[in-house]
Amino acid sequence: MLVHSRTGRWTAWAGFAVLFVPLFALPFLVIVAASFSTNWSGAFPSGPTTAHYAAAVRGESLQALTTSLVTAVTASLIALTAGTWAALAGAALGGGGPWGRRAKRVLDALFMLPVAVPSVVVGLAVLVAYSQPPVLLNGTRWIVILAHTVLVTAFAHQSVSAAVVRLDPMYEQAAAGLGARPSYVLLRVKLPLLLPSLNAAAGLCFALSMGELSATMMLYPPDWTPLPVLIFTRTDRGALFTGSALAVVLMAATLLALLAVSRIRTKASYR
Amino acid sequence: MPTTGTPRAIPPWVWALPPVAVLAVVFLYPLALVVQESLAPGAYADVLASASFREALVTTLWLAVASTAGCLVLGFVLAVVIAFVPFPGGKAVSKFIDVFLSFPSFLITLALLFLYGTVGMANGLWTDVTGDTTGPFQFLTTPWGVLLAEITYFTPFVMRPLLAAFSQMETAQLEVASSLGARPLRIVRQVILPEALPALAAGGSLVLVMCLNEFGIVLFTGAKGVTTLPMLVYGKAILESDYAAACVVAVVNVALSVGLYVLYRGVSRRAGA
Amino acid sequence: MTSGIRFDAVSVAYGGTTVLDRLDLTVEPGEVIALLGPSGSGKTTALRAVAGFVRPVSGRVLIGDRDVTALPPYRRGIGMVVQQYALFPHLRVEANVAFGLKARKTPKDEIPGRVAEALEMTGMAAYAHRYPRELSGGQQQRVAIARALAIRPKVLLLDEPLSALDAQLRSGMLAELARLHRELPDVSILYVTHDQVEALTLADRIAVMDKARLQDCGTPQDLYRRPRTEFTASFVGNANLLPVTVTADGVAFDGTELNVAPGDATPGAATLCVRPHLVGLGEGPNALRGRIVEVQWRGSTHRLYVEVGGHRVKADVRELRETPLLGSEVTLHFAPEDAVLLAAGVNDDH
Repeated sequence: MLVHSRTGRWTAWAGFAVLFVPLFALPFLVIVAASFSTNWSGAFPSGPTTAHYAAAVRGESLQALTTSLVTAVTASLIALTAGTWAALAGAALGGGGPWGRRAKRVLDALFMLPVAVPSVVVGLAVLVAYSQPPVLLNGTRWIVILAHTVLVTAFAHQSVSAAVVRLDPMYEQAAAGLGARPSYVLLRVKLPLLLPSLNAAAGLCFALSMGELSATMMLYPPDWTPLPVLIFTRTDRGALFTGSALAVVLMAATLLALLAVSRIRTKASYR
Repeated sequence: MPTTGTPRAIPPWVWALPPVAVLAVVFLYPLALVVQESLAPGAYADVLASASFREALVTTLWLAVASTAGCLVLGFVLAVVIAFVPFPGGKAVSKFIDVFLSFPSFLITLALLFLYGTVGMANGLWTDVTGDTTGPFQFLTTPWGVLLAEITYFTPFVMRPLLAAFSQMETAQLEVASSLGARPLRIVRQVILPEALPALAAGGSLVLVMCLNEFGIVLFTGAKGVTTLPMLVYGKAILESDYAAACVVAVVNVALSVGLYVLYRGVSRRAGA
Repeated sequence: MTSGIRFDAVSVAYGGTTVLDRLDLTVEPGEVIALLGPSGSGKTTALRAVAGFVRPVSGRVLIGDRDVTALPPYRRGIGMVVQQYALFPHLRVEANVAFGLKARKTPKDEIPGRVAEALEMTGMAAYAHRYPRELSGGQQQRVAIARALAIRPKVLLLDEPLSALDAQLRSGMLAELARLHRELPDVSILYVTHDQVEALTLADRIAVMDKARLQDCGTPQDLYRRPRTEFTASFVGNANLLPVTVTADGVAFDGTELNVAPGDATPGAATLCVRPHLVGLGEGPNALRGRIVEVQWRGSTHRLYVEVGGHRVKADVRELRETPLLGSEVTLHFAPEDAVLLAAGVNDDH
């Protein structure tokens, strides 16, 4: 306990509330409030309605939600596979002497790079590369999914390799000592032990992809409009309340997915 | 070394090839093309000489630096209260911060529109109370609006490593310091702050990189006066179809961010984050 | 097929540092050998070379007649138990024990029987459905042993298996391991420990390791009674190591002629090893006069530290009516046959 006096503690809490509530709590309340309103010209919104939600689960909006979900799930699964593979391969390299360690550092740096490169630039790069032969993806949904995959792979790799480092080598050795070949060790020991981290990484990738706007804005074809893009085009046209309802749908979908993943995680944590 | 008689296991570098090949195809090769495209004759000279580029560069940099500074101060204060002046619901607040991190940044700008926009809550309160026709809060479409949004959105990224660092700190240190007669502010300055420095450095450099790369907040603000490097990339490529110029701006932006990111990795490795 | 383990001039080095230096050692089929030594002596490295987790830079490791030096661990057919047990936390006890059987593609209908047998042998049958985290340290230890035994290895490697247990559990498990070995007379056991009690209790022979080298090897009684080096003398049991001079006439300590068989000791400086419990109080052969500088009461004995000519001699004396007074002059003695003459200068730091 840092502050021992009663008044001191209350001052600290009051200061915390003054900063925290308007900055962090209020924005979400405001969006939720707006999504149920038709008008906001005074201090508070007015004209309560659920029409925006009725619209948000139909037609274009529903399609945008499905688009986002399909994109996020596909990108997350590919990213998780590639990221995990790279993390495990990196760990194997790291055990192979000074050259191996150097190679592991290069591998880690390469997979970390998309975190540092602006998403807009990732979008631009993918656009430039796949608008020309040999592979033409421009104008298809695949270019969006590709960009999302690139963007989230770095995060998948980062969290899985952190978990691989924490994985005690004694389990692997115990398994090998009992006669398990490396592939058996991977499937029956390493991956099950990594499962909690894999789940966490999956949740992270999913959330990132669901909210991705920067690269998507450069790439999306008319028939593959993810939810964030739709929220932008709606609010840009002045339909702020519809946009808010869509934003709430986006947040809810993300939260539900994270919740589901965290339930698997608690089931799968052994210690 | 005797190795006869056993089938050689596949060496580890072979296992590393497939993911690297995939990364090369979907990311490294496109990035190389951007660099190549930026080398078009005259592209660098044109872009670097243009006023819009220089303005965007300056805006990007000062916004990123100011946002980072704001996040560090705000994040430190909030984290200290959560960690060392515990209150019921403190756990929920930490959870909320984790959830906050998983939402896209542009939602903040959307919310600020309702709070401080021309017909938003703050101005509405003002006009209701004073009877004026317009309110005083018109900063949202200026860089200050972007600054507020970025500080709000990125502060949790500073708080998370700080809370992790604080949770490992020994409370005995604080108890000893306070039994020696140190007042809370002195303890914060002389005991907590030094412990927090590595986490602050790591969180701060991460936020700096993310601010440099931020696009959604600026796009949603819709301010014509606020152009950052990522906005310029988007504008040149999509609105003007000037790919060479877009690639030049992109290369500059990447150089800035990656340089800083390397710094961040160095700092956070030392901080053990 | 004979089992057993043979180290044939095995050397292991990490980045230029030799951690195991030309080890030659044979574990006979059905024999228990304890590798005893302080940390960093190379004993664990030797065990890991048998398991296949470290590759020797030179020399060969044989299990039975087979050179396994280049084989990966999973092809060596060994059972291994480590200090932290390394039970798989995501598998129940029975699945942990079945792991090795499944990994070796044992026929499915054989597995339940073998698992039950191994759990029965270690007294853990009642816990088959538990997860490792639901077991105490001693129970986890038993499961780890059951898991190693389930594959019916010819060679069992035990790496400090008891050091994570508290003292009471440890002596219980020690008896248990001795019983298991009686039930499995064909299994060769390599037992790494830094605890001399474990080594003396379990091992048929003890291999004493220090500074990456094998220092001494023999039966527990042999090593205890007739240590060959100062290191063995001080590491296996307690020892008085007295600097003596060997001349053609005999052996002298602090200017006093001793009645000790010089054996084949070369003239010059040497070390005499006498066990503290073989040093008696009062007049007798090899009498040494000195002053008591410290007394420790140890329940059944008194440990006296007596300064004799600048050297501290330890004596464990039984059945003293009253505690000897500090500073009083006493005489110590020991029988000629209880002293062992060692070559001096091997390990001056002991």
